[in-house]
Amino acid sequence: MTSPLLSVRNLVVEFQTGEGITRAVNNVSFDIPAGKTIGIVGESGSGKSVTSLAVMGLLQKPAAKIPQGEIIFNGQDLLKFNDSQMRAIRGNQISMIFQEPMTSLNPVFKVGDQIAETIRIHRNISNKEAWDRAVDLMNQVGIPNPALSAHKYPHEMSGGQKQRVMIAMAIACEPKLLIADEPTTALDVTIQKQVLELLHKLQQQYKMSMMFITHDLGVIGDIADDVVVMYRSNVVEQNKAQEIFYTAKHPYTKGLLACRPKLGANPRRLLTVSDFMDDQGVEKHVSPERVVVFDKEQEKEKSSEILLEVKNLVTQFPIKGGFFGRTVDHFKAVNDVSFTLKKGKTLGLVGESGCGKTTLGRSILRLVEPSSGSIIYNGKDITHVYAEELRLLRRKMQIIFQDPYSSLNPRMTISEILTEPLNIHNVGNSKQERLDMAKQLFEKVGLKLSHLNRYPHEFSGGQRQRICIARALMLRPEFVICDESVSALDVSIQAQVLNLLLDLQEEFHLTYIFISHDLSVVNFIADEVGVMNGGKIIEMDKASSIYKNPKEAYTRALLSAIPKGEVKSDLSSMV
Amino acid sequence: MIKYIIRRLLYLIPVLLGVSFIIFVLFNLVSGDPTAVLLGKNASARQMAELREQLGLNKPLLDQYFDVVKSAFTFDFGYSWATKQEISHMILQGAYPSLCLSVPAFVIATILSLIISLVVSFYRGKGIDLFVRIMCIAGVSVSALAYILFFQYFFAYKLGWFEISGFEYGFPDFIPFVALPAIIFILLSLGPDVRFFRTVILDEIYQDYVRTARAKGLSEVVILLKHVLRNAMIPIITYVVIQIPSLILGALLLENFFSIPGLGGITLNALNSSDFPVIKAMAILSSVLYILLSLLTDVLYTFADPRVKLK
Amino acid sequence: MKENSLWKDAFRRLTMDKWALGSLIIVLIYSSVALLAAMGIIAGDWAKEVGASNMAPNGDHWLGTDIFGRDVLSKVLRGTQIAMSVGLVTSLIAIPIGVVLGALAGYFGGWVDDLITWLYTTFSSIPNIMLLISITMILGKGIFAVYIALGATSWVTLCRLIRGEVMKHKEREYVQAAGAIGGGHFRKLFLHILPNVTHIVIINTSLQFQFAIKSEVILSYLGLGVQGEPSWGTMIDDAKLELSRGVWWQLAGATTAMFLVVLAFNLLGDALRDSLDPKLKGK
Repeated sequence: MTSPLLSVRNLVVEFQTGEGITRAVNNVSFDIPAGKTIGIVGESGSGKSVTSLAVMGLLQKPAAKIPQGEIIFNGQDLLKFNDSQMRAIRGNQISMIFQEPMTSLNPVFKVGDQIAETIRIHRNISNKEAWDRAVDLMNQVGIPNPALSAHKYPHEMSGGQKQRVMIAMAIACEPKLLIADEPTTALDVTIQKQVLELLHKLQQQYKMSMMFITHDLGVIGDIADDVVVMYRSNVVEQNKAQEIFYTAKHPYTKGLLACRPKLGANPRRLLTVSDFMDDQGVEKHVSPERVVVFDKEQEKEKSSEILLEVKNLVTQFPIKGGFFGRTVDHFKAVNDVSFTLKKGKTLGLVGESGCGKTTLGRSILRLVEPSSGSIIYNGKDITHVYAEELRLLRRKMQIIFQDPYSSLNPRMTISEILTEPLNIHNVGNSKQERLDMAKQLFEKVGLKLSHLNRYPHEFSGGQRQRICIARALMLRPEFVICDESVSALDVSIQAQVLNLLLDLQEEFHLTYIFISHDLSVVNFIADEVGVMNGGKIIEMDKASSIYKNPKEAYTRALLSAIPKGEVKSDLSSMV
Repeated sequence: MIKYIIRRLLYLIPVLLGVSFIIFVLFNLVSGDPTAVLLGKNASARQMAELREQLGLNKPLLDQYFDVVKSAFTFDFGYSWATKQEISHMILQGAYPSLCLSVPAFVIATILSLIISLVVSFYRGKGIDLFVRIMCIAGVSVSALAYILFFQYFFAYKLGWFEISGFEYGFPDFIPFVALPAIIFILLSLGPDVRFFRTVILDEIYQDYVRTARAKGLSEVVILLKHVLRNAMIPIITYVVIQIPSLILGALLLENFFSIPGLGGITLNALNSSDFPVIKAMAILSSVLYILLSLLTDVLYTFADPRVKLK
Repeated sequence: MKENSLWKDAFRRLTMDKWALGSLIIVLIYSSVALLAAMGIIAGDWAKEVGASNMAPNGDHWLGTDIFGRDVLSKVLRGTQIAMSVGLVTSLIAIPIGVVLGALAGYFGGWVDDLITWLYTTFSSIPNIMLLISITMILGKGIFAVYIALGATSWVTLCRLIRGEVMKHKEREYVQAAGAIGGGHFRKLFLHILPNVTHIVIINTSLQFQFAIKSEVILSYLGLGVQGEPSWGTMIDDAKLELSRGVWWQLAGATTAMFLVVLAFNLLGDALRDSLDPKLKGK
């Protein structure tokens, strides 16, 4: 057996913070053989990104320290390299793609120049040759019309295209190792699939090694040879991808595999990491009732009463242009949408960013004013109600937003946040009574009562989303819109929140509209699924049947873009 | 591009009307009747009425307002009360010494500040950065008056290295007269300039694209001079260009101390002799300059920042 | 008990910073001096002739006497009152105007924003020093004119900052959530957004104070400021002629007094920015 291309040995990374030293990476070892892809999986804060930055030599120097360990690349310890030696490696032999394509490119330079720059640093060629090579690379990464696109600035490209530019930049010098740090997390599912396929193709073509970092085991099933699972700064399991996916040993890995909703399987609740191990990391036995599978079809109709009816709804935004910023045209974000929703049911709306699903949700709640059409709620047309009536309506209809970090006011305590809706609507007779109601719900969403006087910044993303759910339920609404409410969360946390939403639906007889870009999540939680594209619902069907018989090509594209969460089969056998 | 500039130009119209309005309110409405001041206590009612007629104070207010607007285009500001000279002529004369002092000083100060802030940004968190930061903050805390007094006293009066006051027309004759005030000007500018430039540059250094540039294998110096500086130029352009109008007057104190017969000197003389039309003219002139320069900033933006064109 | 609000947290960090704490103490001392001088408890007899003309600093008169034999230290203390009052009154004028206009423009957008933006663009188009000179000249020399002039010029910066910040917060989901639970414009703007932008007011006030003090000194030096009372600016003006005769103490007293307080406000402004502006956290 030949020695691996990269070998990380007993790596420790520590950060000097105000409160002392925290260890972000603890005694981590793994190998990346030449020409292979290794996936590093873990939730945010597990130390996976820090490990990759250590390999690149990009850790912020005074704050980060590496007291111990070796990073052997091509037989040499990178940790012993000085700055100029490291620079000769970076972008040349090891290169990296980052999570945020939106901010990772320099906004004031043409993308062609930015790619050519990488080549000119490491290769002694003329500007013209570098530019031609950049255009060629842009062609390879699938950017249409590369000769023209090379003259574009980053803001003139879409997120997916920017990530392709980042990839072109990374492979410009045909590196031996490509590090991809969550390269698809910020992208739409269909784009995610294309980028994954592109990375895999290039890896094969250039015979590179790849280190692929992600929080979602499902994503790397298609491309990884080996998988390293990190949990709280430590490597808890590493093995061939095959072994990890079918015979995972560590309970955390098992939890990660189980928590992703799968098309076709319909558990009543998703398994989560906490089903497999307790807080101390000790393995538990999964209780059998947690894995009951049920058929949504078999569920008897909870009710036949229609709660919400949307008819020919259009919401448009003016497009400003011309000399004086006059309205020259309208952009129809929601274009002639109709559907009905029965009490106690969940309608899933799925589509990619810009398809109008968020605007539709907000139009129904009248947070955005619809332009035409009607919204009939409980038999009453609410399209044109105003002021007091609209305010009363807010008690019945609520929304849970996407970003748990910006949806809580940072200057208010949790008890203030939770009692505010009660104050607005004069629910409860005294301050104490309102506080008691807040406490009740706070516990119900799984948070500790003693934390009620804390501020939002003291909670994790998943906890904040629970607080948002509690706030939405404070007024005991009948109808809740969940707008991408789990999209910003790690998969393991996502499963917990989805379970919570289902528990609450049963307890409070809620009706949901669940908006997401992830068809597998929608399929799990919803009774009916509507696929949105270009402001229209192009296909609508029962959740249990839409993935079996998709009628529209777009739906099929969405379906095929869902990571299978399985090992690559035919792909690897092809090589 | 042309469209963009024309749109910006059109936007200047309401701003110019607004500025004229403020100046009109201050000088024509609030300031009251100046004839008593001008003619002294013994003036007869007839004399006062004549003067009012002469100064255009009998016109309807709307006409008076349009006179203000008009002067912003024609630079016809009338005559000084104190010197009886044509104001536009006075300003033309005063501009020469003022520009001899402020233009070179301003250019040197800006370039020097940029160099210093690039150096301290490169060594951020190190000793030299701390030292420069302390010097800047201490520097801006001392009164400008104290600097000028001390430097004039010490270098011109005690050591006799420079002329204490006065001015001579023609290059290079003016150099000994403007050298010391120019040095003081530069010193006074360094503190605020370096502080601002450093903050702007450091803001950029922590952006994601800098991490990308590092991942390419670029050296820190190239990253700073190419990637960071180009982005930092956007706020720096505004900061620098917007200073120019107050430049004429920014040297006001220096011209006063060193008896340089520039625009600052004219303004202060007018102030002491309650010469309203001159102050009014200076206010209009400097505002027009400001408005034109803000247009220039907008144009420069389109070169510095490719994102602007779309807006 | 772990109930540390962001404000308490920020205050704790501020007091941990030696420089910031020192600056805060200096500011408090100056404020007390100003208050005591205003009540006539100290430096009430600054105008009294207490010794010979132009006495150098000595045991009785720590900062010597001026040309009329008046105690320079008393004049410096009296000048403190003028300087601090200018800072205070200017802030009292600038903050309400700047915050209200900035918040309305940022929150409502549309024609309200157009109008307010036009208003502050117009005001900022007249170079500061020119507007100061014009207003003080027209209102007549004196401290009242200085208050008005500085107030009229300094709301602009605050207004622009608040507008930008409110615009950013308006789009945040917590504000939308406040709307979704039935909160109106008032609740969204005043109870949700404004508490999240107050740090800008605090930082700006600290920097505004030092700007006002520096401006007052220059306006007083130009003879536009306070009349018949000592100000640091008029003291420096006196010193202009005295310096060649070796009389340096009047200049030294006024300059040092001003240096300390301006330095303190500068340091405090920076420290406040570090501890209150979340954007800069972790740098």
